[in-house]
Amino acid sequence: MEYSYKNRAFTNYYHADNYNILVIAQKRKRENEMSEYSGNEAVIMKNVCKDFKVLNRHEGLKGSIKDLFSRDYKTVSAVKDVTLTVNRGEIIGYLGPNGAGKSTTIKMMTGVLEPTSGEILVNGKVPYKNRTENCENIGVVFGQRSQLWWSLPLIESFKLLRDLYMVPEKDYQDMIALYQSLVDIEPILHKPVREMSLGQRTLSDILAAFLHNPPIVFLDEPTIGLDVSMKAKIRELILGLNKEKNTTVILTTHDMGDVDALCKRIVIIDKGTKIYDNDIDHLKTYFGSYRTLKIKRADDTWEETLIDDKTTDVMDVIMEKRKTMKIKDVKIDEISTEEVIKKIYEGSAK
Amino acid sequence: MNPKRLLAITRAGIMESLHFRLGIFVTLFANLIYLVLVYYLWKAIYASSGTTVVNGMTFEDTMIYLILATALFNFLEMFVVWDMSRSIQSGKIVLDLLKPMRFRKYTFWSYTGNHIVQFVLTFIPTFVVVMIVTKGAIPMGLNLVWFLAATVIALMINYNIEMLIAPICFFTESTWGVNIVKETIVLLLSGATIPLAFFPEKARMVVSYLPFRAVYDIPLSILLGKNGSDTWQGLVSLFALQLAWLLVLTLAGNLFWNSAVKKVTVNGG
Repeated sequence: MEYSYKNRAFTNYYHADNYNILVIAQKRKRENEMSEYSGNEAVIMKNVCKDFKVLNRHEGLKGSIKDLFSRDYKTVSAVKDVTLTVNRGEIIGYLGPNGAGKSTTIKMMTGVLEPTSGEILVNGKVPYKNRTENCENIGVVFGQRSQLWWSLPLIESFKLLRDLYMVPEKDYQDMIALYQSLVDIEPILHKPVREMSLGQRTLSDILAAFLHNPPIVFLDEPTIGLDVSMKAKIRELILGLNKEKNTTVILTTHDMGDVDALCKRIVIIDKGTKIYDNDIDHLKTYFGSYRTLKIKRADDTWEETLIDDKTTDVMDVIMEKRKTMKIKDVKIDEISTEEVIKKIYEGSAK
Repeated sequence: MNPKRLLAITRAGIMESLHFRLGIFVTLFANLIYLVLVYYLWKAIYASSGTTVVNGMTFEDTMIYLILATALFNFLEMFVVWDMSRSIQSGKIVLDLLKPMRFRKYTFWSYTGNHIVQFVLTFIPTFVVVMIVTKGAIPMGLNLVWFLAATVIALMINYNIEMLIAPICFFTESTWGVNIVKETIVLLLSGATIPLAFFPEKARMVVSYLPFRAVYDIPLSILLGKNGSDTWQGLVSLFALQLAWLLVLTLAGNLFWNSAVKKVTVNGG
């Protein structure tokens, strides 16, 4: 029984395979199109690589002492040959497992990291040259860090950012009015940032990143650690700002809910290589039918089975299981981002 | 250079410092304890010397100098090295690098608010108390203006010394030891703990040309009318020394910072 599920799942990899050919074809097309900056692209990345030099650490106390004088470096490639074009007004989900190179890519796009090779243009300019000037045209939120002034009420941080980015008073007032129409900011506006809950702080940080109305905003895991209603609120806000101001948003996340709510297109990288770049609908076509069936055994442990809804009926599996074991509880989950990525990666690795 | 920007950062700095008002009272209290200690220490030194004037300074001169040096120290003290090593370890440095202003300038101005608060709440009260208690030992005239000017330059020199040390944490990841060494050297050689007049002749010669002196000794000399600062010639030479070091340290700091930041942008910090 077990075997046949696996087998069925296996046949489905063929879809993934065909599908990868499609992806590669599209990738080629995009690369060819990407000759010069035409004004409509928010980000252009061409064959971007990023290597880090890391000291080879040795084990133990002896090793640590040895490391003090060691010149033994190894090169780690965080991003390998990534080519990507993001058009103005797009919301892109930039996905990948932990350590895939997402943050490195974002840091290169913001200009704090210089690529080892390849070209990057953000708003038509090379981000790491004239970093300070380019910063005026981007907004950044790193999920677990706040750029706000810790002990000051939010409104003071806003005023400071207004002066720092030299936002005209009228634009500033319009933006605050827009914020008020999108979320209820009144209760947090006069609250010191350090007294805020994580959700309120993240919300504030996102608002701060959009305040100077940059053409492009980078959101690095903005919904990490937030509750369901706050997540929904933040997604609504991002969507609203994108719509109102036509801001390009590049979003990294591990939450499939974020992707579903916000992104039309997703880019997946793993081990520094781009392995998927397409509309989210395609992703759903191929992997949306997968379900994770969780069965609670008599000894209170869970057994997980990945099932393709299209080829296998979930009820059949449960019935089948019931013949051999006592089932205490049943749960059916949608496939997670990690699993989608895993599947895509397994597909592309073949 | 946009004054509105700088003003906004300063304003936020003042508000943040005032927020930690308890810290200011603790500083004042700690000073009191420190000064009691200093008082008895120097009393013993003067008692054992057998004369009332040691190295051209009376006990009263020394005390005035040290009290004001302590007050000046509270006001000039910066935590650039601590803050930077912390923000490198936590990764917050990325956010600071993404401000639409040059990092060195932004950092300097973000400390300015705190300096203003410390000046008003710790230096001025101490100064007034010393003035009343000593009844006219501090000359009141144009020297106050020169003192303010010298203090502002001292502030910038101090910042540049900090900015020469802080980027070391880009390379070592920890600056605790380096910072302790720096603090000790600055406090000793600047005349903040022992008046420079008490240094042996040869050491004083060397120290009087080092930048550390420009941080505490020169502003205090100007305030108290010592070291020839009561003549135009003396005043000009003191300012010249300050400005020369300011120039050298700013250039050196800039160079070092640029190469350190290169390390972050190339190798991820």
